[in-house]
Parts: sequence; structure tokens; C-alpha cells
Amino acid sequence: MADFVQQILNGFALGLAYALVAVGYSLVFGILRLINFSHGSVYAFGAHAAFFMVGLHFGPVPAIIAAMLITGVLGVVIDRTALAPLRKKKSVSIAALVTTLGISSIIQNMLVVIFGSQRKPFPDFFNFGTLELGGVRLGSRQLVMVTVSLALLLLLLMVVNKTKVGLAMRATAQNQKAAALMGINVNNIITLTFLMGGASAAIAGGMVGGYYQIVYPSMGFMIGLKAFAASVLGGIGSLPGALVGGLLVGVIESLAALFFGSNYRDATAFIILIAVLIFRPAGLFGKKEVVKV
Amino acid sequence: MKKILIAALVILAAALPVFAGGGSEAQSDTIKIAVAVPMTGDNAEYGQTFLIAAQIMTEEWNAAGGVLGKQVEIVNYDDKNSAEEAASIAQKIVSDPGIIGVLGHFSSGVSMTAAPTYEENKVIEISNCASHPDYSKMGKYIFRNNTAITEEFKVMVDIIENDLKLTKVGVVAIKTDWGNTAGGLADKLVLASSKLQLVAHEDVLETSDDHGPAIAKLKAAGAEAVICVGMYSLYGPFAKQYKEVDPNVQLIGVSNAYTQQIIQLGGQAVEGLFAPVSFYAESSDPATKKFVDEFKKRWGAEPSSLAAQAYDSIGILLQAIKNTGSLDREKVRDAVQNINYKGITGQTTFDAIGDAAKQFTKVIIRGGKFVPYTK
Repeated sequence: MADFVQQILNGFALGLAYALVAVGYSLVFGILRLINFSHGSVYAFGAHAAFFMVGLHFGPVPAIIAAMLITGVLGVVIDRTALAPLRKKKSVSIAALVTTLGISSIIQNMLVVIFGSQRKPFPDFFNFGTLELGGVRLGSRQLVMVTVSLALLLLLLMVVNKTKVGLAMRATAQNQKAAALMGINVNNIITLTFLMGGASAAIAGGMVGGYYQIVYPSMGFMIGLKAFAASVLGGIGSLPGALVGGLLVGVIESLAALFFGSNYRDATAFIILIAVLIFRPAGLFGKKEVVKV
Repeated sequence: MKKILIAALVILAAALPVFAGGGSEAQSDTIKIAVAVPMTGDNAEYGQTFLIAAQIMTEEWNAAGGVLGKQVEIVNYDDKNSAEEAASIAQKIVSDPGIIGVLGHFSSGVSMTAAPTYEENKVIEISNCASHPDYSKMGKYIFRNNTAITEEFKVMVDIIENDLKLTKVGVVAIKTDWGNTAGGLADKLVLASSKLQLVAHEDVLETSDDHGPAIAKLKAAGAEAVICVGMYSLYGPFAKQYKEVDPNVQLIGVSNAYTQQIIQLGGQAVEGLFAPVSFYAESSDPATKKFVDEFKKRWGAEPSSLAAQAYDSIGILLQAIKNTGSLDREKVRDAVQNINYKGITGQTTFDAIGDAAKQFTKVIIRGGKFVPYTK
């Protein structure tokens, strides 16, 4: 029983990290109807940026904030250099999708060139001890991860639903042309979206780096795919969906590892993905899109 | 008909230089040895250190006048530790008639993909790391300058039985071809021991750094000692996560745990980790010291036992060529088979299937350093 509760707790912490990455997919998908497959590499970039900043000894909080900014800027650069030109030429959406795959590979290899491909030790910041209750341990790392992730996700939700910028984002998501006619600078909104996506990926990277105390260039591959599965589960494009989807994937895979063995854990996320695509293609929180002719 | 004749002539003319090239191979003034290892990707640091070790050995020979009066040249290939890459690299290597032997590849699965190509073309393959029991059985030209993993497990079982005097053993293995086979062999050896009891076997994925569920199961089964079958990337996170749940667990690694990186990544958590190694960098042997000093200069850290085996593997190949006195592939192959080579990883001889026998030193991490184990 203690094991069971323990795995749910572990899965919860891991799931929130998935949720932070999944948010990046959802933000971009919501506005551009584009699955940004470079997001996993952006996450790895964020983790490395945090790793680098931490090396400069400013302390963990300024380091992660600096990493957020750098990674946010990377997101914007990706959009401006690779994706915006494609939109301008009104190229088919599959072109942008394949471009994001290429960008992913460029970022990952750039990290290998700069930092080397080996695993690097990330300092153990968030370890202030462990709470033990009836055989269930709650580490301070998990607590920090849960608190920070939840706070950020709530902040994002607030921005999108309660602010003027958020209103503009939602308007752009509904209809870009109409939004532009209402005086919204659609390009700026898209830039902002990539900035937010990059920043949330950097936080996720910094948190997960600190959780396992390890960073390496290929770290974004699997988590990127799982976060994608999570955002599809929650309904891609929906922020609460990304949160719930991430949590579900995290908890279910931890339980699967406990009951069926660790070798089934990676498969779990993708079994969920397939099941969702078959039974509820719009996801838990997604709306069915009606194509009007 | 005329056209066909002309075509045949053209083909012949194009092919002539190739035949001529084949004939003059023996006259070329360098002897080439391929080093086909991962230079990029997840296991790049292994490959990069092997290349350095191979270069140090060839430079030593070249400084002393080369072998058979010729200079030795290293040709480096990057197989990214991927079987697909290795298959095409093996084709490239065998199509270069100047290459007599190969040091590589890194993981057993990759080496075994490439081995049939080398065997067919009589290119000697010496792997300094493949430890899959079936690897060296793949052909006459396939050698292993590393012990089959069973030999290491015997030492590990001995550590648990006699040095630690523990009884309940768990095994954790990475989910790869090598990890599956090696993990299974570890189970067998533990089961075969009358003093030990195998309480759990857990597989973990190389793609995940979260080993919580596997650790929970090992702990629930009451494991006192855990045999870790993985690459360096497994030990750091696994040890950290395990020590949080059970600070008293005794971890035992295979020989590839002997690398400075696991101390960097594992910190306090890998204190007390045991590993059986065929090479110890702080040995007082002058040949070892010379290699270690040179290696440190180029790499910045101490060589692992696998890098030392890479160094010796090149030495074995060159010594075999020297003993043969020619580049006749069959004779050089026989010379490798019959070699008795004194290197920095001990006296190396190969058995009938091409496996090297090694002496092991037990090392343990104490005070953030690998030291030879003493009670």
C-alpha cells in the first residue's frame, strides 16, 4: 500500500513536469494549429541554459529566471527564422511540422557541440530533506517541483483567461484574420506565444534537471514525446487539458511501472495516446472542431 | 554487338586501376587500423577515450620505427553506437584493402551486427568492451579483449558472498540486448550460489532517469546488495534514488562503472560502490603510469579500464603483425590467437573462441575516489 501511494506521489511530481512541457505544445497549437516537435529540444536547451547559468554562481533562482529568458528568446528565434517565413508564403501545414523536426535536430546537435554529449551533474538545489509518513516519503525536491509547476500553470491560465493579452491570444486562436481586423497585432501575439512556450520549457528543464541532478542533450526526446501524448490526452490546445493530461500520464506510467515492471513504463504513455486517438480524438478537454464549408 | 563490346572494354578499362591498386596494396607505406567507436551520441565519451588510447599506442610504435618498417595509421569511424551505422561502416572498412584490423565496436549488439562482415573479409575485429557471451563465437577473426560478462559476475558474487557476507541479492539491468543477456546471466550465477538468494530482478529503460518503481520493488523484496548491469549513465541516478529510500543498500557495478564520471554524477550516493576491474589507473607499474600520465594530458581525467583495454588491443594487433613478419591476414589472425601479450591490463591470451582471460582487482569508491578494496 505504501508503495502504491509512493508511486502516485512520484508520478504526480513527474506528471507536473510533463504538464509544463505539454503546455508548450498546447500554447503553440492553440494559436497556429501547429504541432511544434522542436519543443522537446527546447526543453533540453532550457535545462542546459539553467545548467550553464548555475555554473556562474548567481544562485538557483536567478539562474532559472535567466534560463527562462534565454530559452524564451530561442523560441522566438525559432519562430522568426524558420516558421514565420513559411506562414508568409502560405505553405502547407505539413511543411512547418517537418521544419520543427529539423529545428529539433539542430538544437540538439548544437547542445552536443557546445556542452558535449555526456551526462553532466546538475547541482542538488531543492533538497532540504525528506518527510516520511507511514512508509511514504515526500522529498523536498518533489514538493518544490509540484509547487513551482502548479504556480506557473496557474499563472499561465490567469494570463490567458484574465488579461488583455490573453484575450488577444484567445482571439488569435479563434480566427487570425478577424483578430487582425480588431486591431490585434497577430505577429506579436505569436511571438509572445513562443516566448511563453520556451520559458515554460526552461522551467521544466531546470526542475527536472534538479530533480534527477543530471542534464544531457538528448534528455528532451522522450519527455517531449510523452508530453505530446499528455497534451493530446488533455485535448491539444487546452491549457487545463495539458495539466490534467500531464498528471494522468505521469501517475499512470508510475503505476504501470510498479504493477507490470519498469520496462513497460515508456510504452504506457503511447498506449494512452493511441487509446485517446481511437476513443476520444478531441481529448478530455478538447472541443470537437466543426469544419464549415 | 559492337556496343556491348565497347561497353565491356570501358568497364574493363575502369576496373583495371582497381586491380592494379589491389596488387600494390602490400607496397603502401602505412599499415591502417580502424577505430570504429561512438564519437557522438550518448556513449561518445567512451568512444573518444578509446580513440585517444589507440592513438597513444600507435604513436609509441611509430616513434620506435613503426611495425615491419611501416608507420601505423589510425582511421577513425563514428558508429554512434548504432547498429545501422556500424553495418555501413563495416562495409567501408572492408572495402579499404589497407585496413588490417578494427578496434571496435562499443556495445555488444553493435559489434555483433558488424562482425559477420569482418569475418567474411578476413578483417580482424578486436572489441575492447563487448561482453555479450555470443560475440566472440561469431567467427575466427572476431576477438574480445575484455572478459565475457560471466567472469565479472563471478567476482561480483564473490564480493557479496565473502567480502560483504550478505545474502539477499537484487539485480537491476538496462533494457538492451546486452542488458537482457547479462542481467539473465547475473541471475543465474546468483541462483547457482548456495549462500545467496535472488530476491528480485528489475529491468530499467536507458531512456529514463526515473528508477523509482524499480527501486521500490527491489526494496520491498528486501534486497541487501544490488548488482547493477548498466552503462555509466545508470549508476548516478540509480544510486542517488536508491540511497534515499534505503541508505544501507550495497551496490555492485560491472567493470564499466570504473570511470570518473560516475563519481561526478553520483556524488555521495556512489560511496561504497564495488566494481571488478582489469585495470587500475593508480597502479605503480611503470607502463601503466606512462599511459595514464599521457592519457590525463589529453583527456583531463584518468582512463577507464575499457580505455586501457583499447590501448592494449591496438598493442596486441601490432605485436601480432610484428610476430608474423608480414601482412598475410590469415597468419596475422593466427598470431593474434596465439599471442601472449603483457599489457597494462595484465597478461593477455585468447582462448579457442577468442575470449581474453583477465585478472580482476576489486575496487571500491571511498572518499570520492576509486581505491583497491581491502577489508
